[in-house]
Amino acid sequence: MRILLAEDDPMLGDGLRAGLRQLGFQVDWVRDGVAAERELASGDYTAAVLDLGLPLKDGLDVLQALRARKITTPVLVLTARDAVPDRIRGLDLGADDYVVKPVDLHELGARLRSLVRRSHGQMQDTLRCGAVLLEPAARRVSLNGEAVTLSTREFDLLHVLMLNADRIMSREQLEQQLYSWGYEVDSNAIEVHIHHLRRKLHPDLIQTVRGIGYTVLRT
Amino acid sequence: MKLVRRPLKSLQARLLAPLLGLVTVIWLGAAIMTLVDARDELDDLLDGHLVQAAALLVVQQARAADDDDDGIADAPSLHKYAPQVAFQVFHEGQLVMRSANAGLIPMSTKDHGFATVRLGKGDSWRVFSTRGIESDVQVYVGEQTASRNAILWAILHSVLLPLLFALPLLALGGWWAVRQGLAPLRQLSHALRQRRPQALEPVVLAAMPSEMRPMVESLNSLFERIESMVASERRFTADAAHELRTPIAGIRAQAQVALGAGADEAQRQHALQATLAGCDRATRLVEQLLTLARLESAPAASTASTAATASVDLSAVARRIAADLAPTALARHQTLELEAIAPHAVAGDDMLIGVLVRNLIDNAMRYSPDGARIWIHVATESGQPTLRVEDSGPGMTEPEMARLGERFYRVLGHERPGSGLGWSIVKRIGNLFGAQVQVSHSDRLGGLAVSVRWPA
Repeated sequence: MRILLAEDDPMLGDGLRAGLRQLGFQVDWVRDGVAAERELASGDYTAAVLDLGLPLKDGLDVLQALRARKITTPVLVLTARDAVPDRIRGLDLGADDYVVKPVDLHELGARLRSLVRRSHGQMQDTLRCGAVLLEPAARRVSLNGEAVTLSTREFDLLHVLMLNADRIMSREQLEQQLYSWGYEVDSNAIEVHIHHLRRKLHPDLIQTVRGIGYTVLRT
Repeated sequence: MKLVRRPLKSLQARLLAPLLGLVTVIWLGAAIMTLVDARDELDDLLDGHLVQAAALLVVQQARAADDDDDGIADAPSLHKYAPQVAFQVFHEGQLVMRSANAGLIPMSTKDHGFATVRLGKGDSWRVFSTRGIESDVQVYVGEQTASRNAILWAILHSVLLPLLFALPLLALGGWWAVRQGLAPLRQLSHALRQRRPQALEPVVLAAMPSEMRPMVESLNSLFERIESMVASERRFTADAAHELRTPIAGIRAQAQVALGAGADEAQRQHALQATLAGCDRATRLVEQLLTLARLESAPAASTASTAATASVDLSAVARRIAADLAPTALARHQTLELEAIAPHAVAGDDMLIGVLVRNLIDNAMRYSPDGARIWIHVATESGQPTLRVEDSGPGMTEPEMARLGERFYRVLGHERPGSGLGWSIVKRIGNLFGAQVQVSHSDRLGGLAVSVRWPA
């Protein structure tokens, strides 16, 4: 899952980026409101962590502008403003969650997973496609109840495909969801990971739609 | 006996009690004066009547003497007051005529003139004696003084009785008038009682008498001042909470990264270093917040009055602070150049001026890169003692300079953490001592130049 982190404080931003990466998120970090809006508008992010006191453009303004442009990326507002009217305003302007600093990294991770789950209309905290069960919080995958060991990338790829089950995902879309800035992506990286997933799980789990992309069928 | 004077609690009572007291005293005074006056007049009048009656008897006796009628003639009693009036006429020592209530012996020992005597059952009589035209006739006319007193009592009664009715009426009327007059006060106290304790909007009264206007106005201006104080306090608390929560959130995140299962040694080291830096930053922030809170709570007037008397050698303070900060500068290969030789006395408190100088030099060092130069200069410029701190750092744009000193305003793009509180502190101390703080571009070193200029 690729997360945009908008935080102007160098130390906190650095810590959150490192911590969320440890939890298996792909994290891109911007330090001002204008950059946050630009990056979120690209639509490449599964979710965003947004500080409110951002330079150049306030977090709430960014949020309002995004929602006005019908960009529905789930946004978790992380702020030091804890007054109830602030929270109400944040949620009313389109924030999906509102967390007051300081926050536990694991809680932040769980909240982000929950946001992503809800944004994909999914109620359970696990994803199932046929015999394959994926548990995002534990980062565990099992086939017919037997645990399957996957690499980080393989897990993330399967997660994205299962979240978007029954939809066809292009290679570009998958790459954007999987890789944060600063990673050189090999042109056949996605194909390689798909190949591994088919081998480890089931040959027919991931279908190739020629010239368009890949899909996982829910049943 | 000790007389304890208790102040009357209500304004109404304070107005009404003296009013009614005064009315009673004046009325009683008037009654006494009336009474004294009436008694004198009455005495004159009734004495005149006695004299008149005596004269009549004398004339009557002069004529009756010719009739030579022996024996005593008793005059009939013709009026209800008659028993209180008596007369006797003696001829050659013989009682020849008397009123029914008169005795047989002369009423007075005097031959001529007025006398007050006790007769019969001890009643007090006013008696006028005179001789007839012939000296062998002696006439006495007397009147019971009790009748005079009865008249006086009647007068007193008719003067005091209305007071008995008037006083309660007056009290009632006065109470009503005072109550009407004090209605705006009652409205005010009602309006104040109805307010929530936090309410700070101005009091508005429909009809306000001119006497109350200054009071209500100063009350409203007090509310206004409190409101702006509360607002600034609330803003400060919110800002301070924000500024404190962020480094704490950073410390927590970095500590969790260091503890995280996936962290390698380099990441762990980095996170722990960042945790320590975060603690230092939070400490500094807390110290600055405390300094600022102390400065803001110090009432400007009292500090200004000490400022007027105390004076500090700016050069000495600059030397001391520069010496304090030199090791930090050396560690970052920064050069501190100090030009503060001659003493320059400025108004101020030694500790506070120290805080000001420290914040300026500290800021210059903090926002300049390693190896930068920082120039500290104390001199008299156009008669004004001036402190200059300039650096070779990145400097600031015009809009950034304009926003500097807004609490918690930070210039964007600095890796070095700061809260912007240092500037607030510098400005506040400058204000306290009437010094002007100005920010500009440093022509000498290319970075930022700050000057603090005391009045000449």
